[in-house]
Amino acid sequence: MRTFSVKSKISEDVACLYLKGHLDAHHVDRFEKEMVKTIGNGMVKIIINGQQLSYISSAGMGIIMGYLDEVREKGGDIKLCELSDQVFEIFDLVGFTDIYEFLKDEAEAMERFKDVSAKA
Amino acid sequence: MFPQKPDLSIRIPPKTELLKMVVELTKHLATINSFDPSQAQKIALAVDEAITNVIKHSYQGEAEGPIALEFYSAENGLKIRILFHGVPPQPALNQMDLKQLIRDKRKGGLGVELMRRIMDTVEYSTRKGINCCEMVKWNHPL
Repeated sequence: MRTFSVKSKISEDVACLYLKGHLDAHHVDRFEKEMVKTIGNGMVKIIINGQQLSYISSAGMGIIMGYLDEVREKGGDIKLCELSDQVFEIFDLVGFTDIYEFLKDEAEAMERFKDVSAKA
Repeated sequence: MFPQKPDLSIRIPPKTELLKMVVELTKHLATINSFDPSQAQKIALAVDEAITNVIKHSYQGEAEGPIALEFYSAENGLKIRILFHGVPPQPALNQMDLKQLIRDKRKGGLGVELMRRIMDTVEYSTRKGINCCEMVKWNHPL
């Protein structure tokens, strides 16, 4: 049974990945494949939209962690938005909130990327 | 005090497709033990992490090898024991350094840290070829 899915959308130079459902070690390959495809297409400004993400384990968090350095080296970033309180708490528990930007919604995350581009 | 015998024990094969079932079961048992939904979800995540490590590191992705889960309920806490064969786990002794993991482009290294931060105790042991991960969470009063 498919309990996790990921879709992506490109807006200008920003890629938004929409995570849906229960993301654990069993489904993580699907997420990594989408992340690799996104970066492979030259997109390094990435928003992870977790509005429909009900659960994440370290397997999924590891993908967000493992590609951050690469996208930042290329002038991009990974920002997260629209997480439920429960999912946000898990990221906060291991210190992701010190390193990543967590935004209220996608529009705000897009704005943050525009702010950085304007300053550059 | 936890009882000598588990309130519930199950055996599962080392398959990641069963992780969600274990998470739902653990969440349910934690809720019965008066943990609030947020705490119950975190306890279930700790169990997910422990079993994922068993499948990846102890059984190294092999389809054979049982995993036994035992749940012990006390008035103010929940103890979970995970018993398995395979390579004995060697959890990192040092606290995780997230910035270093990112610099090293690592995708792993968060699981045991999550378990430690969620549960009150996490202990690994190996006796007579059987590995054990024992975790306890106390239900602290508000």
